[in-house]
Amino acid sequence: MSKYIITFTKNGYIKYTSHLDMVRLFERVFKRADIRLAYSHGFNPHPKMVFAQPLSLGYTAEAELLEIETKEFYETGELLKEISERMPLGIGITSVEQLPDTVMNQAIHTVASLVEAADFTIEIPVPAPLSRDVTELCEAFMAQSSILVMKKQKKKKYEMKEVDIRPLILAIEGFEDFARNLDTGEVDNKIILKTKLAQGSHGNLSPELLIPPFLAFAGIETERSDIEICRNRLILADFALTPI
Amino acid sequence: MNINRELDRLLKLVEKPARYIGAEVNSITKDVTGDLLRFGFAFPDTYEIGMSYMGLQILYNVINSRENLFCERVFAPASDMEELMRERGVPLFTLETKTPLKELDAVGFTLQYEMSFTNILNMLELAGIPLLASERTDEDPLIIVGGPCAYNPEPLADFVDIVCVGDGEEMLPELLEKIREAKKSAKGAGDAAKTVKDTKVSKKTLLEAVSGLRGIYVPSFYNPVYGDDGTIVKYEKLFDGAPDRVLRAIVKDLNSAQFPVDTIVPFIDIVHDRAVVETFRGCTRGCRFCQAGMIYRPVRERSEERILELAKAQLKSTGHEELSILSLSTSDYSKFESLATRMMQDCAAQNVSLSLPSLRLDSFSFRVLEEIQKYKKSGLTFAPEAGTQRLRDIINKGVTEKDIYDSTRQAIELGWNNIKLYFMCGLPGETYEDLDGIAEIARNIVEMNREIKGGKGGRFNVTVSVSNFVPKSNTPFQWFAQNTQEEFTKKHEYLTEKLRIKNVTFNYHETDTSMLEAVFARGDRRTGKLLLRAHELGCKFDAWGETFKYERWQQAFADTGISADFYAHRQRSYDEVLPWEIIDSGISKEFLMSENEKATRGETTKDCRKGCAGCGINRYTNCPMGGVLANE
Repeated sequence: MSKYIITFTKNGYIKYTSHLDMVRLFERVFKRADIRLAYSHGFNPHPKMVFAQPLSLGYTAEAELLEIETKEFYETGELLKEISERMPLGIGITSVEQLPDTVMNQAIHTVASLVEAADFTIEIPVPAPLSRDVTELCEAFMAQSSILVMKKQKKKKYEMKEVDIRPLILAIEGFEDFARNLDTGEVDNKIILKTKLAQGSHGNLSPELLIPPFLAFAGIETERSDIEICRNRLILADFALTPI
Repeated sequence: MNINRELDRLLKLVEKPARYIGAEVNSITKDVTGDLLRFGFAFPDTYEIGMSYMGLQILYNVINSRENLFCERVFAPASDMEELMRERGVPLFTLETKTPLKELDAVGFTLQYEMSFTNILNMLELAGIPLLASERTDEDPLIIVGGPCAYNPEPLADFVDIVCVGDGEEMLPELLEKIREAKKSAKGAGDAAKTVKDTKVSKKTLLEAVSGLRGIYVPSFYNPVYGDDGTIVKYEKLFDGAPDRVLRAIVKDLNSAQFPVDTIVPFIDIVHDRAVVETFRGCTRGCRFCQAGMIYRPVRERSEERILELAKAQLKSTGHEELSILSLSTSDYSKFESLATRMMQDCAAQNVSLSLPSLRLDSFSFRVLEEIQKYKKSGLTFAPEAGTQRLRDIINKGVTEKDIYDSTRQAIELGWNNIKLYFMCGLPGETYEDLDGIAEIARNIVEMNREIKGGKGGRFNVTVSVSNFVPKSNTPFQWFAQNTQEEFTKKHEYLTEKLRIKNVTFNYHETDTSMLEAVFARGDRRTGKLLLRAHELGCKFDAWGETFKYERWQQAFADTGISADFYAHRQRSYDEVLPWEIIDSGISKEFLMSENEKATRGETTKDCRKGCAGCGINRYTNCPMGGVLANE
């Protein structure tokens, strides 16, 4: 048995597929490539394949992580090639790394359990340049002692609960972008936020909860459907990939 | 308009946006060069339903394997998407290249069920294409239809340019090539750079060029003349070159026919998300109510080796985790035991689950089911169709009481505790005793379970599903007057009473849609007005219970003066010119009449493997299974 971490990107229309769609897609790619995954035991065996952190439907990504366990050993270069050439448009495999045996033996250290945070880029089109400096805006936003939002509860779906998301925003930086759109020739005014948000089991903040209070704070009235979000990278706890 | 840019906004606002993105594994795009003819395969229902249809995969593959043809897909957008598209002026587009349908050379709708017809009109409207063929210009794409409902295409005659009747895998590419050639030969000297689409050829010229091809019906070349009683007197031909009757296209040899292995693998979960190989086409049983059993004749089998080879290659190309086989009657494949055994072995070796639909439940099938389902015993389904032997003989459903009880006994003994039974009501010759028979079968099965398991019989359920018989064109019952909605309702109420039995669940089908199906299944050209009016009143997704609005249909009947009684509830005579007689299904009228007469006498007709029943298909093609079991 061997364990590998696959790093991949997700771009273009395929961003409209869900996490479950991605699970199915990867399972089928392994089948097509004749890469034999290890299976769990029990009544309903399933292949050993875990995404570090589900990616929301509609998000692009630059470095998602997938951990797999195979029945036999494969060269990482071979895996990369076999998987890459079978991926649909929009999924790019950037690397395949084998996990050292020492890590492999520690069943609890799945890559999913090590996710602590993630960097996101949020692009917000605005009708005109802001009257305020975006860097200052972000600083003022972060200077708030608490940022309260209403959040759907996991167990009781219809009850909303007030939560303070401020501690889960680890960093936020903003820029303005005035690129000329090549299709329309018009100037698209955009605010670009680079933000680091807590992710994983110890505290998790979805950009969906950050966007409304930020827009309200900045006095911007952009529709959610005009905003693009990219998860740039996942940040793992330190000891993740180093042999113990 | 830049569809891509607008789409990126829309897709964030709709449910299941991946329905609209294309780019799945094995989907195809081509460079749009000057010589390419562009075709849109349109399924008039949602992505999840359309992508479960194997015919789409077959035709997509066949057309795209031709260098100069490009087939893209389009489905009916769900209502949330449709609303946004209308609001923002986004025209209906293809999944592969996001091209508006209007820019294609031809768009072909598949006709799988009558209740999808309003979706066709709605999709044309969303595409900005005029609905009536007579209102479309030479700039608009040709509108083509095909599929089982094309055996009576008349309700759609005013909306379509070309109807394809019969097996599509040879006919459709041939048709498209012919259109392409006609356009190409019309290119002037200086037109070399022009695309096929930009080459101006009148629609009339194109239609004349394709009329006469096998299986091709051009409705605008015929004019039905009606008599005082509203029935058809005759069809007048408006173009001399058009055939008197259009003979359906038949693929002679399924083994050499192209069958896809590189099938499109959807991203999202669809109704049937699996690898599929068609084992044979046609059916020899001759059930008199069944249109598929008539119009797909003769039985043509794929060889065992070829099936296994295709299954293996398709699994390899798609990575599917489930394999299924496709035919009208799985167990009738002549080497079924060997095929099923080998498939089970192949699937087990590849971690693939096997699904065998519509098995005839004999002892071999039970062994197979034990093997492939193991502890996951899903429900077991039987379709006796009618409650008494008398009525089963009338409809020529070759199932006996003994068959039913032997199979259920075995099923119960092997641990199945969920049995589904399918019946029809409103069949020709039906009496209330036949309905009593349905209840009796259900009761006997529940009783059998108690007997076998002792005590109260444990957890056990019999589900009785009753659908309403819809007489279809090209069947022995094509002359039959459908039961009225009141009659159906009375029968449902009667059955509800009779089936108040512990451990029995009773379901029945909506009566209003059954009546509409009957109107369109046997409607003439004038029913197109009803369809158009229903569309104007907002009818769509009529096959979906939650979106079906009967009041609007009632309004459409009232507005157009079309009588449901005339089309659905009227007994027709053998002399009447039927709207679909312009189509020759290959089955002779004499055979259909003789089968209908035998039905009234309660006489059965044997499976034609046991001796030719004389349906007439061998006038046009070799019937390989006719009489092969004559000596058994």
